[in-house]
This record gives sequence, C-alpha cells and structure tokens, in this order.
Amino acid sequence: MMRRRLAWMPVLIAARADAQQNVDLSTVPPRDTVQLTIYNSEDLTLVRETRTVTFKPGVNPLQFSWASTLIDPSSVQLRFKTQGDKLDLLDTTYPHDKPQMLTWSVRSALDGDATVEITYFTSGLSWAADYVCVSNPEETKTSFDGFVRIINNSGEDYENAQVRLVVGTINLVETIAQLAQQGILSKHDADEYRAGRRRVAELGQKAKKPASDKAMKALGYAEAEVLREPKGIIKEGLSEYFIYTVEGTETIRNTWSKRMRLFAGTDAPFRIQYRYRPQEYGDQVVRLFILRNDEASDLGTTPLPDGLVRLLKDNGRDGLSVLAHQNIRYVPIGQEIELNLGPDPEVIHEQVPLRSYRDNLWFSRTGLEVRLSPGQGHKIEINDQVCGWDEHQVWTERIRNYRDKPIDVEFRRSFDGDVAFHSTLNPTLHDFRTVRFAATVAPGEKKDLTYRVSSKQGTNQEERRVTLRDGE
Amino acid sequence: MSVYPALVRPRRTVATAFVVAGMLVTRGVDAGIKLITLPPRERVEIQLDHPNVTLVEEERVVPLNAGVNEVVFAWANTQIDKESIQFRPLSDPESVRVLSVSYPPNENALTWQVASPKAGSARVRISYLIGQLDKSFAYEAVAANDEKSLTLRQYVLLHNRANETFGDAGMWPGFGERFERPIGINETKQLLSAKFENVPVRKVYTADLSEFGYLDEGKKQLRVPMHYLLKNDSANALGRFPFMYGKARVYQDDGRGTTAFLGEDWMKFTPRDDEVRLYLGVAKDVVVKRTIARRDQNRVLGNLYHYDVVVKYEIENFKDAPVVLDIAESMRSLRQEILGRDTGRNVEFELVKDTPMAEMLDKEKSTADRLLFHVPLPARGGDQKAVKATQELHVLIKNEW
Repeated sequence: MMRRRLAWMPVLIAARADAQQNVDLSTVPPRDTVQLTIYNSEDLTLVRETRTVTFKPGVNPLQFSWASTLIDPSSVQLRFKTQGDKLDLLDTTYPHDKPQMLTWSVRSALDGDATVEITYFTSGLSWAADYVCVSNPEETKTSFDGFVRIINNSGEDYENAQVRLVVGTINLVETIAQLAQQGILSKHDADEYRAGRRRVAELGQKAKKPASDKAMKALGYAEAEVLREPKGIIKEGLSEYFIYTVEGTETIRNTWSKRMRLFAGTDAPFRIQYRYRPQEYGDQVVRLFILRNDEASDLGTTPLPDGLVRLLKDNGRDGLSVLAHQNIRYVPIGQEIELNLGPDPEVIHEQVPLRSYRDNLWFSRTGLEVRLSPGQGHKIEINDQVCGWDEHQVWTERIRNYRDKPIDVEFRRSFDGDVAFHSTLNPTLHDFRTVRFAATVAPGEKKDLTYRVSSKQGTNQEERRVTLRDGE
Repeated sequence: MSVYPALVRPRRTVATAFVVAGMLVTRGVDAGIKLITLPPRERVEIQLDHPNVTLVEEERVVPLNAGVNEVVFAWANTQIDKESIQFRPLSDPESVRVLSVSYPPNENALTWQVASPKAGSARVRISYLIGQLDKSFAYEAVAANDEKSLTLRQYVLLHNRANETFGDAGMWPGFGERFERPIGINETKQLLSAKFENVPVRKVYTADLSEFGYLDEGKKQLRVPMHYLLKNDSANALGRFPFMYGKARVYQDDGRGTTAFLGEDWMKFTPRDDEVRLYLGVAKDVVVKRTIARRDQNRVLGNLYHYDVVVKYEIENFKDAPVVLDIAESMRSLRQEILGRDTGRNVEFELVKDTPMAEMLDKEKSTADRLLFHVPLPARGGDQKAVKATQELHVLIKNEW
C-alpha cells in the first residue's frame, strides 16, 4: 500500500490546538478530490484538494501536516466550499517545534459536515512533452504524435487526481523547493509571497470549463462499452499561458512517472531543404524536414511545448529507421517546425577556392597625411608602404545530388569587413554581413554556384557590411 | 533472456496458483499476486542505418482481454533507452490502444495500459534504441597479379555487447543486402555486404611536400607514398553507394595461387564519383628531389614585390614499368618558403607561360591553394639505369609585401 504523507487531522477532543496534552483523539478525513496544476517552466505545482470535515459548534482546531514532502508552508490556504456562512477561520498557527505542520482554528455555528478546500504549492512535480514522428517512405508526409510525461518526486502520492499542465513562463522570486526547506516566512514576506502565488493560482482558475477535444471524438468506442478510452487532453489559452487538462483523473505515485498522449497528427505534409549555415549547423550542408504547426498539417490545435522530437521513417521494408532526435523549443500555432537530420551521404558539398588576386593598391608615405595610388597618377617612391588594397577571391559551392528527387539547397555565407559579393546567383542579404542564395539541383546533377568576394582591406575599408553586385 | 514483456491479465482473473509468475512481474511493477504470460519474440529487426544509434524492433503476439490490460516491459543489464520505447499494435490498431505508460522508480521497466475492445491475441511491435549494439565497416581488396584490377569486398561488423541475444534477427546496415542471422551475447559478426569484381585500380605515386614531407631533407628528397586509387563510379565497377569509414586490408595475387598482404589503410567516407585512395607504403623506387631553383624578388612599387620562382623536380623511376607521378604544390607553403613567413593573405600567383608543367596541370582538382600535376615517367632503361627527368614549375607570386 502506498503511504500517504499528507495528514489532515481535525482534532475533535482537544479544546485548543496548542494545548499541551499527551492523549489526543483524531479523525483523518480522506481527500474527496485533488487537482494538480503543474507549471513546467518552474518547479511549481498548485495542488487543490477537497475534503469533507464534520464540525461541532464552537471552536474547532484543524491540524494540517506534510512530513517529507516539498510543500511551501506559506502557500497553504483553507477555504469553505459549503456551509461557508456558518464557518469562520479565526487564525492559523505554525508551531515552532513542528516545521511541517500548521493548525487552523475554525469557529463553527454548524453541527455537521462541510466541504473544505485546501490549496498549496509544492515542488517536485514536473511534466515534459515529447513527440514521435514517422515519415512515409516517400518522405512527403509524417505522422506527428505528441505525448506528455508527468514526473512525481514531490514526496506525496496523488491518487485519482485531475491533472492540468501549464505551458508558459511565470515569474517566481523564490523557488518552492527553497521555501519548503526554510519553513514559514516573516509575516510581511509571507503576505507578499502569498499574494504573488495567489495571482498565479487565480489565473489557473480562470480557465474555462474544458470542452471535449475534437481529435478525441473519433475514437470509435460506443458509450456503452466498458472500455476506457485514451485520455483526451483539453487545450486552451489563458493569458500568456496555455493549459492542457487531462480528461478524467490519473493516479501518479511518488517517484513514478506517467506518459500520456497529448495529440495525434496524421499525414502532416513537410518539405525537405538542404542548408549551409555554418553558424547554426557547423561547416556542413544539413538536411531538414520542415513542417508547420497548422490545421493544414493536421496540427495547429495547440502550441507545442518544448520537447524532444523522435523522427523515424517507414523504411518500406515493414520497419522503421531512425532519422533524427532533436529538442524543439516552444512552437506557436502557425509556426514552422524544423527538424535537422544532419549531413546526407547522398548530397555532397565542396567549397572550392578557384582564384585569388589583389588590386586597387594604395600607399602611405612617412610624413604625408594623404594616401597615394598609382592608379591616380601618384608617383610611388621606394620607401612607400602598402596601406590599402582590394582582395578578391573566386569561390564555387559545388553540390552533387545522388538522390532520386530534385533538392533545394540554401547557402548563407557571412563575411567580415567591407565586402562586395559579385554573382549571378540572385542573392539576397540575410543580414548586413550574411549573403543568402539558393539553388535547385536535379537528380544526378553536379552544380557549381560560383561567386567572387571582393574585400576592401587596410585603409580602403570604409564600411563593415556586405553589398550585392552583379556578377561578371 | 533479459528482455521480456509480460502481459498481466485484469485482476479479476488473479489466481494464487501463479505466484511464481507474479513474482517475475514484480521486478517491474508494484507488488501483488498477478497472472502473467510471457509472449516470445516472433520477429526481430535491427536497424543499423543510422550512423550513431541502433534501433531494435521486435514483434510479439500478446493475448489481451476485453477491457484494460497491463503490459509490462522490463529489462536488466542492457542499455535500452527507456525514453525511446514505443508500443505499436499492428493487428487492429484502430481498436487496440495504449492509454498511458507508467514508469516505476529505480526500475528498468515500464507498464503500458492497453485497451482492447475484445479478448484475443494482438500482434504488437515494440521498438527501442539500444546501446552497445553497433556496427562498423571493413574492406578487403585483393589485387590481381598485374595490379591492374582488384576484387573489393565490403563487410559489416556487428558488435553485440548489449548483453542480449537476438535469434534470427533481420539487420539492415543502410544500404546493400539485408541480413537475417542469430546474434549471441558478446558476439561480433562479420557479414559480407557487397562484393565488386574487376575493379580497375591505378597505382599513384605522389610528391607533395606540404602533405608528406621529406624522406631525406638533407638531400631534398621527398617522401613518395604509393596509393591504390579506385574511382567510386559505375564506369569503374563501383558507384552503387558511398563507402563508409572503415579499415581496408589490401592483398595481391602472388601468381602462385595464394595472396600476399600488401598493407592496410583507413577507407575514408567516399561519396559516389569520388576517389578511394589506399596508402600502401613509401615507394623507394621513385625518387623525387625538390629544390627552389630560382627566387627573384622584383619590386613593383614601394614595398610591393613580385617573386619569380622556379621549383625544380629531379625525378628518377627505378621501376621496370612506366608510372605516373602526381606532383602537388601548396601555394601557401611555397610562399612561406620563399618569403620566410606567412603573411596571412591569400596567395596571388600565375603560372608563367614557359613552364612545361602547365600542360600536365589537373584543372579539375587544382584550386587557388593547391596545384596538382600528373607527370608520366618512363620505365628504367635496359641497362638498369633510370632516366633522370627534370621538371620545372615556374610561377609568379604577385603583390606581396
């Protein structure tokens, strides 16, 4: 049996919670419901649980303790969900000798039971997304299945919990794990802290009641069937956050983790592009699958949280091949997802310097402030020194395509200094120092993309940027 | 077998008679008396086509009850990437569904909750990445006695240190043949993946100071390595796929029905249409002495100079057959030799028209940094004396200061 560490004890006989006595009688009302709202950007989970407690008229001491868990003591709050007009919370006491415990004094005009809600923040619960894509053998479409994995190292078992997962970055001034260790804060700090935490919690509460996910409607099970369906996961936006709510409840035991399907995408079309971008991918041409998080791709119902993508391919021999494993960052609805497969042994790239030369030489003379150029008719003397010149280098990017389909290749080359890029490649500027040009290479074709880089050196340099010029 | 999936039937069927089986499954899941079945592997495929990871796919026929079933997958002493494990129902995938996966703490195990609309067997495929089960490539080349052609064999070496046996596993290294062989624990299996016969081979002798240095620096005699050169294209009986990195051992038919070991080299990754160069050793019978015969420094303007340079090669072929010598010059190294320093600038140069070596220039393979010439050398004479040939490379290194 799992051990429950969070203890909830309304002390029925003791007149006061802090009374010193050696014999106590307690009852332990179980949780009726529990809801976890897990933020993945911080080590933060809002726990909201309800319990049914029987009150007697007068002052009722209620004890709440959380040994061996990671609860932030300053965040624990009690609210009366029923009979609130007959119940008042008089005070909350944190005993100095029992750091993981508090006692509430509740004045009751009620002789009967009421539902109370306890909320608190804990650390140690987290979630992570991951994705599995399987491309068709033709490499035109891919399945795209999203999963979430919930990891519980909070010290507490959560049975039959409703689980909500929050995507987005929240601001915390202190970590929950620290607060759980250091105990209760000063009154001022606690109020400040609680107000901040409460704002986060309220945002979570404002989420609309979940509607059924359309993707889960078509599961094909009759309602009468006893069979359980895969967990539907409801997605909705909230302020700057996005909340996924797992349908039904889940039991997540302490130290266990659980993985569930987030969504299923089928037949997402993608395009293949080859790129040479040394600053992003190193000094090599890499192959990318590029798809878009939109409805046309059978995706686009939710932003995609950070997570690992496992890209596989139906190898056409009744099996799979691994293409890539890559972490992706948060992908908003409508944005492209770029999956880098690395270099392709069937697409060969060589960068060949063809010719180098210099011209437009300028000279300096000791004692003379102006520069001298033979091209300007200046007479150059024996002790004059070269101080400025133009350096030219002719390059070719040679691409060989051994695949059976044409490929699109994009190059980005960055140059330092005052550079003119001469070509007939219809280049564009990616930024002030980076030239972009592209080509399509037919199956079996060897294509040379040739250009000349002219760099003004020494005193010839006037700017620090690249300009595009027509090729010779 | 250290990898097994276990089907745990719904709890209503639990019988105390199966306690032993229940204990097995407690390795991976929570304690309790359970009834399990141990469906064996029906098929295993090992995908070796990725350069860095190995994917294992196995199929099992799993009996499922109507309702929710727990299927446990556990392993020990193997490096299975827990995060990579996938479960795919192959039969009736629209109805048999994975509801969730639970990962117990500190265990190499996981439990799938699988929903089935009816009782019956389901064929499922479990795939995962496994460590310590990897591949490498090796090559064997047997040259004909006249060294005009060779037979090239490519082998895939499968190294199984994964502490797991795979009986009759299908394997695919990414190209060529698919294999089906059993693989035992700690076994290395060498599998012939491709054989190429009558591959034309050319012996290439190279004089390249910047790459291979001197054999005798005092005498300015260059080290002249000999390579077997194959072209990976269909015209040369190759070109089916790129060659992957691996060790190549080269033998020669000795004309007496056996072979002699000539040497070994690393085969570099070689795309189609590129050349394979296998270094077999230093050729002592081809002697090349390289000297700078001229270094004229001509002022252009101020401190700007052109350098008129002649590199002289004195070549003797002591072999009784004509050969082709490749002479390569790194222009940056040559300038450093001439100026005594590296200016950091690109080298601007031109071949002077009177240089006879210009006709031997390989324009396809020469670049702005490196010139390559193919120089034919006659066999030694009938008097056993080699003809001493002199070649001169005349270049103008321009605009230096």
